[in-house]
Amino acid sequence: MAIDTGTELGQDSFADVAEQSRGDIAGRSPWALAWRRLRRNRVALAFLALFVLICVCCALAPVYAHDVAHTGPNDNHVGESITVDGKKVPIISVGGIKFVNGKTIFKAGGVPIGPQLWHAGGRFVLGADNNGRDIAVRLLYGGVNSLKIGIGSALICVFVAIVLSLLAAYYGGIVDFVITRIFDLTWAFPVLLLAIALGTALSINGFHHFGITVPASSLWIPTLVISYVYVPYVGRPLRGQLLSLREKEFVEASVSQGAGPLRVMFAELLPNVASTALVFFTLIIANNILTEAALSFLGAGVQPPNPSWGTLISDGQDRIATAPWLAIVPGIAIVLTVLALNVFGDGLRDALDPRAKVRIEH
Amino acid sequence: MAVALVIAAVAAAASSSNRSTAAAKTSKAKSYSVLRVTWDQPDYFDPGLAYTVAGWQIMWNVYEGLLGYKHAGGAAGATLVPNLATALPKITNGGKVYHFTVRKGIKYSDGTPVKASDFEYAIERDFKIDSPGVGFFSAIKGVSGPKGFATTKKGHISGIKTNDATGAITITLTHPEADFANILATLFAAFVPPTTPLSDQSVKGIPSAGPYMITQYKPNRSFVVERNPNFDPKQQPNTPRGNPDKVIGTINPDPTGAMETVLKGQSDYDMISLPNDRLPQISKQYAAQLKIYTPADMYYIFLNQRIAPFDNIKARQAVEYGLNRNAMVQFFGGLARPTQNILPPNYPQYKKINKYHYSLSKAKQLVQQSGTAGQKVVVYGVNTDPSKSVVEYVASQLTKMGYQASVKLLAHGVYFTTIGNQATKAQAGYADWYQDYPNPIDWFDVLYNGDRITQTHNNNYGNSDFDPVNKLIEKLKNSPTTTAAQNAQWAKVDSDLVVKYAATVPYINRSGTDFFSKKMNLSGSCYQFHVLYQWDFSTSCQK
Repeated sequence: MAIDTGTELGQDSFADVAEQSRGDIAGRSPWALAWRRLRRNRVALAFLALFVLICVCCALAPVYAHDVAHTGPNDNHVGESITVDGKKVPIISVGGIKFVNGKTIFKAGGVPIGPQLWHAGGRFVLGADNNGRDIAVRLLYGGVNSLKIGIGSALICVFVAIVLSLLAAYYGGIVDFVITRIFDLTWAFPVLLLAIALGTALSINGFHHFGITVPASSLWIPTLVISYVYVPYVGRPLRGQLLSLREKEFVEASVSQGAGPLRVMFAELLPNVASTALVFFTLIIANNILTEAALSFLGAGVQPPNPSWGTLISDGQDRIATAPWLAIVPGIAIVLTVLALNVFGDGLRDALDPRAKVRIEH
Repeated sequence: MAVALVIAAVAAAASSSNRSTAAAKTSKAKSYSVLRVTWDQPDYFDPGLAYTVAGWQIMWNVYEGLLGYKHAGGAAGATLVPNLATALPKITNGGKVYHFTVRKGIKYSDGTPVKASDFEYAIERDFKIDSPGVGFFSAIKGVSGPKGFATTKKGHISGIKTNDATGAITITLTHPEADFANILATLFAAFVPPTTPLSDQSVKGIPSAGPYMITQYKPNRSFVVERNPNFDPKQQPNTPRGNPDKVIGTINPDPTGAMETVLKGQSDYDMISLPNDRLPQISKQYAAQLKIYTPADMYYIFLNQRIAPFDNIKARQAVEYGLNRNAMVQFFGGLARPTQNILPPNYPQYKKINKYHYSLSKAKQLVQQSGTAGQKVVVYGVNTDPSKSVVEYVASQLTKMGYQASVKLLAHGVYFTTIGNQATKAQAGYADWYQDYPNPIDWFDVLYNGDRITQTHNNNYGNSDFDPVNKLIEKLKNSPTTTAAQNAQWAKVDSDLVVKYAATVPYINRSGTDFFSKKMNLSGSCYQFHVLYQWDFSTSCQK
């Protein structure tokens, strides 16, 4: 029996088909269908839960810093000691040089305390860095910054890409030509190189043009740089989809009923690419977090002393042989977050539009 | 009487000859075939252009000038000796004219004879290739001014007269300079043949008059130094022949990677200081192969006195009190000693300053008194450790004192040019200084003489400009001799800058490590640390 629901069912199970054949489908919106498909994807939901857990942990950073670690993310503890199992221990080992009877006596120092887990009452759970700062506190605050940048830049990127692709697809002609060339121009540069170039330039003196002032140390710099470099990667596929939608009968019908450009763009075209945009948004957060980590690692992203997972890896690389956890722990945080977002993003894509092959390719 | 004198002279000559023969025998006895070293990336292997220890440490055994430094460890290494000159200069006309005679019979490594005019060519070449050392020669007559050689780069420098037939060199200065003999001992004044091209010759190599010659250089990869076949220690008695026949250098600026080359037996020497996190292990497990040295250096925080908040002396004093110098030693793995002096302790002019004892509360109080609390301060630094850690610490302490401090980290390659440009308006930042030559002028005149502040390439990062200090520096630098009274005056300059004006915040004298393989013999004269050129590979021995 042929069932024509107006959409291709793709990966829906036979149970779905059977259910739809009973006529239950009639009252379900595409969103409700998508939610039902997503609910059945346990793996995607598990990774969504993981991502939410990471976000909650990071959101609790101020509470942890204030009530458990008793220190801020940028507070140095150089020259201070803590009590570990009842004994006073310097946070950074003390060394130095003395000259006694013409001989040089040297004692190595400068090695920060290692992970204390709970032996120091919740302080320095993951140890300290060169400035005696609590790594665990910086890891959580670093997560806040990385997530802020990742999510913020994804929002800006997808918003700009939608607006530009709508304009290009609706108006066509010279507007489409200009927007497409802008996309091409940005696309022509390797994404990371372009981000490094812009990030480095802006992280030296900040942005001071057109009456807008963004200090070099502001998180807006990496956020805007990352969102800019990914715009064509979202905008071009959206434009392609919108170009074909632009020729559909429902658009012609809308125009014939007197709908203006804004109504056609935002009430007719946009809802038809919303699911694609949503999938892009999810997947690009993961990309943005990776890009932020790379930029910060190279000194072109989050500026010290502010932490981010990328800067923490960068700080830890000098001591990778003796204190590998300094680089590995933030690395694991990045891996888990990106993995969670990618798996969930794939699940969301399958749920929203099983036919789509949405990928961030660069 | 005459006979007695002749006998005495012959005996002395014989004794000298015996000593020389004995030294030669000892040297030959210590000779060995190959020394493998791991080296930092030198900026250049061209004596006119190199301005880093990595370049100089090799080249002081390759290129020779009229004067040089004694190949000896400790304070004796600061002794000036005539290398290509027959004797130390005869100084006349109130310290303005220097007379030399070039030794006869010396040849470069390619067989070209060394001539007096090569000195003139070398100095003029420095100007023509925009050498970083040309500033040292500004006092030579005919160099400065709109028609001077530094501007025109045409003709010759009128203040240098040479005679190839007699070997005579006469250098005339516009005013006496106490450190001019030291300047002539720098590699910028090393002789080069007159056929040396007017461009960087690091890779091609320049024929040398020293005991060694650079036969191969692959930037960022390797270099090879071999014996100069034309070097004769009898003709150049102040330069040792050297023990290794050949030095093969691998360039690896990464401290961990460089250390590993020694641990794996691929190298006999690691010139780069060991990484902080490996120091505890290496200093215990390989104590016999590790040498700790302390060069003449000073690490400091500059405070820009032309702009707020550090145009206020109380704000500067707050920083002096608000930094824990003892704790800052740990940023260098313990390889440092806290200091409040500009001059390093091994200088005869050094007089220990012990004014500032760490007190954050006092620092906060001074910030309040200065009326600068709450102001924004950007602390500049290099984006690698130890600078990064130091700068983050300083910014954190400034925040505790009551400022809104942030950090700006730049790549090493552009850092000093950036902070040395007045347009940057760097308020505070990380800086260090290693002597070019052992003389207080190289510290105070270069770093703190307000009369030498420039718009770009400024070395006086804090724009320190205190008239009494400037006048005292000018007075002392024009004196051709060094007396105890003058040493005391240099100590006063040191104290005035740090205590009276709080113009700068010296915090440590940094030490370094020389790490050797088990093959190397580090006993006695086999390990010599030179005050300027650091470990002297020419005197090294193998077991």
